[in-house]
Amino acid sequence: MAIYTVGRRRVIIALLLTGALLLTLDLRGNSVLDTVRDGFSRAMAPVEQATDVVTTPVQRAWSSFSNYDDLERENQALRDEIDRQRGTQAAAEASIIDYQLLLALNNLPSLSGIETAKAQVVGGATNNIDQIVEINKGSDSGISIGMPVVNQAGLIGKITQVNATTSKVMLISDPRYSIPVEILGGTGDRDEGREPTNTTPSGKTEEELDEIISQSIADAEAAGTAETADDPAGTTDSGASGGIDGLTPADMFEDDVALPQAGDPNEATTTTTTTMPEAISADNELPTLTDAEGSPIEPSSSTTTTTLLLNPDQLEKEYGVLRGRGQGRPPQVRFLQDIPSLAVLQVGDLIETAGGSRSLAPPNIPVGRVINRADRPGVAGPLLEIELNADLDKLNFVRVVLFQPLTEVVE
Amino acid sequence: MFAAFAQGSLIRLIPVGMVMLALQRTVFVDIKVAGVTVQVVLALAAAAGASGGSERGAVAGFVLGAMFDLVEGTPLGSTAIAFTIAGAVAGLLAVITAEPQWWLKALFVGLGCAAGEALLPVVRVFIGEESPWPANMLKVILVVGLAGALMSPVLVPLSRWCLKIRGPAWTAPVEQQPI
Repeated sequence: MAIYTVGRRRVIIALLLTGALLLTLDLRGNSVLDTVRDGFSRAMAPVEQATDVVTTPVQRAWSSFSNYDDLERENQALRDEIDRQRGTQAAAEASIIDYQLLLALNNLPSLSGIETAKAQVVGGATNNIDQIVEINKGSDSGISIGMPVVNQAGLIGKITQVNATTSKVMLISDPRYSIPVEILGGTGDRDEGREPTNTTPSGKTEEELDEIISQSIADAEAAGTAETADDPAGTTDSGASGGIDGLTPADMFEDDVALPQAGDPNEATTTTTTTMPEAISADNELPTLTDAEGSPIEPSSSTTTTTLLLNPDQLEKEYGVLRGRGQGRPPQVRFLQDIPSLAVLQVGDLIETAGGSRSLAPPNIPVGRVINRADRPGVAGPLLEIELNADLDKLNFVRVVLFQPLTEVVE
Repeated sequence: MFAAFAQGSLIRLIPVGMVMLALQRTVFVDIKVAGVTVQVVLALAAAAGASGGSERGAVAGFVLGAMFDLVEGTPLGSTAIAFTIAGAVAGLLAVITAEPQWWLKALFVGLGCAAGEALLPVVRVFIGEESPWPANMLKVILVVGLAGALMSPVLVPLSRWCLKIRGPAWTAPVEQQPI
């Protein structure tokens, strides 16, 4: 058995000094070390593939064991969320199309003109410090270092290392990640300060309609003249779904799916859906309804219009730099100037990439929302903590935006 | 030189290290304990220290750490330094006893893992990274250390085979002729 002696201590010190030397060489950039790194990655590729195949049952067994309950809960939550979003998606898509047409009309750049490479996350962070994942596309697909990576929710990171068939993606949450962003001041109070306005063709509120319907049903039963409707709920289907029917997860990654992008928030969003008053059950008959003035009311086709109109004067953009802070900590936006006459930054404000000639990402990729604001003394400006749109813990399919800033485009 | 390499311990350690790295990058990425990624390569380095002493542990830690840096794209040497310390710390077991019990080896493997994991962000600070500390650093160190101790019954024999370490050979004392 070895004994801890002075001679052995020298060996340890020599190893540590060698490590420091390698560190210095690598940080200053060394082509030999880069070649060794590339060669070792290539040598590891078949070993990793074989290990992946062999250990897949173990991974699946562990995943079933540890994630089943979470998946079930998440599935229910997602179904609810999909139901909520279906109604607004159609209107949002229309707004985005209008927005892109407007940009094209004014010869302004938009995300729709940038090609993307679809990829799948094949490896997660292997230590507890770096926030880096690996994807299965590399330089063969036109990917190069610095390109932004997005999923359906928004920005997730940037490419930091490229091999022929794989790439490393540094996530937004990594402490080394930073990118210029813009904060849309005034979007934060959208849900808090403004109640949606609900109207019907007759101008009655839903409560008034419910009273009228109840009264009419009672009158009809008393008179015995009501007719049976076979499928009263079927009359509401024409508009109730409203959104995109039959949307499957596979559709989300079709080639023609547009990049996630923030439309112009100054535009009003109008959603039209058809609702069925709850007072009428499936077994009840549909009586002829009249209001107090004798005008006929058709509850099966009553229209609820929800309008969220933002005052363009209140929407001002403020620019800062987003920086990751590591696992478990929300990213921060700093270098802000909070001038009340220009923009008031508050919780809930939207954040998207700012673009610019030196930025590695094009403008208008959604990033997240402000969840916390900390004021700092002096001229340091406020500090914003943000909640990312993308769930970085559950990444699967992503898109690499094949974008290069103007300053790096080779003539 | 080639003969020295072929007869040395690295000829076994490198391929085993590659398999361990592959396991780290596939299975152990998914298998998280309390949200913490278990470090099997670090545990192998610490196990090498516990079974072969500080010097061999440091050499094994350096080689495994350098391999980790090469494949992960982290600054070359940053993980190697932390793993070297992990192997050396686990090798302090030799100071206590010449023939340790299995639980004592597990304890020192856990200590080595904890030391290595704690040093990783320290090295990153030295190379200029801003706040490389995980939000739950204490939990990370505890889980990685505990997982290393639990894996030691498998990793210690594996590291003994890699480093060609033989058990102590007891010999009977030479009988002295009566004067």
